[in-house]
Amino acid sequence: MSAPLVQATGLGKSYPRVFRRSDRLRALLALLAGKTSGESTSVLSGIELEVQRGQSLGLIGDNGAGKSTLLKLLTGVLTPSQGQVRVNGRIGALLELGAGFHPEYSGRDNIAMAAALQGFSAEELAARQDEIVAFADIGHYIDEPVKHYSSGMVVRLGFAIIAATRPDLLITDEVLAVGDESFQKKCIRWMEDYLAGGGTLILVSHSMYHIQKLCRQALWLRQGRMQAQGDVFEVTQAYLAYHERKSADTQGTARDLDTLRGQEFHVRAVRVNGEEAETLPALEQGAALRIEATIASRDGRVPVVNVGIVRADGTPVYGVSSDMDGVQPAPLADGDYRIVLHFGELPLLPGSYTVRVHPLDSEGMRLFDTVERSLTVKGRSSESGLVRLAHVWEHAAPLSRIRGE
Amino acid sequence: MITPAALKPTLSLALQLARRDLRNRYLGSFSGGAWALLQPLVQLAVYAFVFGYVFRQRLPGADAPGYVPFLVVAMWPWTAFAEALSRATTAIQDNASLLGKVALPRAALVLAPVLASFAIHGVGFIGLLLVMLVIGTGISPAGLLLMLPALALLFLFALGLALLLAALQVFVRDIAPALPQMLMLWMFLSPVFYGRYVMPEGVRSWFDFNPMTGFVEYLRFALLDMPMPGLRAVFCSVLAVALALAAGVFAFRRLQRHFEDFL
Repeated sequence: MSAPLVQATGLGKSYPRVFRRSDRLRALLALLAGKTSGESTSVLSGIELEVQRGQSLGLIGDNGAGKSTLLKLLTGVLTPSQGQVRVNGRIGALLELGAGFHPEYSGRDNIAMAAALQGFSAEELAARQDEIVAFADIGHYIDEPVKHYSSGMVVRLGFAIIAATRPDLLITDEVLAVGDESFQKKCIRWMEDYLAGGGTLILVSHSMYHIQKLCRQALWLRQGRMQAQGDVFEVTQAYLAYHERKSADTQGTARDLDTLRGQEFHVRAVRVNGEEAETLPALEQGAALRIEATIASRDGRVPVVNVGIVRADGTPVYGVSSDMDGVQPAPLADGDYRIVLHFGELPLLPGSYTVRVHPLDSEGMRLFDTVERSLTVKGRSSESGLVRLAHVWEHAAPLSRIRGE
Repeated sequence: MITPAALKPTLSLALQLARRDLRNRYLGSFSGGAWALLQPLVQLAVYAFVFGYVFRQRLPGADAPGYVPFLVVAMWPWTAFAEALSRATTAIQDNASLLGKVALPRAALVLAPVLASFAIHGVGFIGLLLVMLVIGTGISPAGLLLMLPALALLFLFALGLALLLAALQVFVRDIAPALPQMLMLWMFLSPVFYGRYVMPEGVRSWFDFNPMTGFVEYLRFALLDMPMPGLRAVFCSVLAVALALAAGVFAFRRLQRHFEDFL
């Protein structure tokens, strides 16, 4: 394998502690003498990272975990305090909003400036200016000062410029969160094309959906250290599980069992594939899914059970109630009711999903309780969407070219 | 600027920054670029009136030029130098948000205002010299070429000091507010408004140790056929340029890795 595009060894960053006025002077003298600047606060340490050409890496972690600092170290905006970074290629980075735009100058002027910062000549810029303006798609605002832009427009322009530079390595930091739906889609489509064309991506996002969609690898940073690194589904799942534990710790149990017991129905237990844990082991694409719901009934009436599957970002995938299919839960000896829903071959595409179980009253009108289980589907499929629909190609010849041409 | 390999991107970025600076400096003003020439002209008129008329600055010697050309050849380069320093000193600090988002050759941020100041005042200077040449104020045409090495050295002097001050300013913010006073003092200690021969005999030779003396006297020698500066004055000037460049490059190189931590 050729030399990695990005390689970081023992990488760390610490900021000097500057409280009193004299600290700055002391730091200055120490640095001039070639020493370190004295006391410091470590924000990132012990990062070992290797990204090969064509890979895509998602960086995840809580606020303040060091994600942006790591990106800044990789792009060279910050110089490492320990260890080193090597990048064998041209980086296009979109760090934070604005990417260094000057608020007083128009969008066009800022394009010219950004091009100069990327080391582009005037001719290269002229050739790409129209492309950038078209991609940003902000209308007449392109000739107005950037200070009049909305934050979404700033991101549009920033991304358009980076997209036009076609870097070897694209680094973006929470950029997608600001753009509107159609621009997000445009960016994701562009990044997918870029990845298909052999581009390399390092993406920071709090949206596990975006991370899973665009990245094959993930790195989870926690308090400035590497918590986990590897396959995107395993790492994001571990991260989500950590968050669930964290919110369970801080809020107590989300379901208030005492109140629920007073209601007509509540969920006694949910087992998914025989497991009672809130987060299940990752499922292979096309594996079977078996959801067993045990419902307590206060008055002995028969509940209707509704099971829904939503994607991690909240998009509904499928929902079904027992009464729709003309069945009802069967009673157990202790007065509870139980029903099992079985999906033989789960058609979900790789990603994170949530399974929800609700008991409804016998008429299927009132909803009483909600129990969620998170579910990750693993796989290498590059199909898009939520589920695989049964399909057959007709009038088709065998593939002779490589995909992505 | 800092390493030979980084020189080209640094230079091209600095040129772009300087061009934008010049284009936008007078963008919002009514008279546009005319201010760039008008302002020093007005300043010159004020100084010529105050020193040439009110205080009656006299130039000894029958072949001495008039006071206005005498002032012009020293004041324009000084203005370029002083403006370059005062604009460049805060260059790193002012661009903190840019430095935090984009990896760029940091020296370009300092080089740009120095380039811009020398460009705008250089053009004004040459224009004014040509006008004086045409109306016959005793400017020697050969001097237009002779002065170029001095201007180039003055540029390097400004660049060296600018790199040093801009780097120090990131750490110790006292430099920018103190600078205007220091520059004012330096200007009056240099023979810009006067020749050193108006000074008492005992202090005249001390002027050699002010690096600006060599520049001013050389320019007057080249353009106005005034006496050549002494060897010691020229030596001090050249030495000061070399020291400023060495100190500037050294300090900037040492400190630039840490700018982000202190901005």
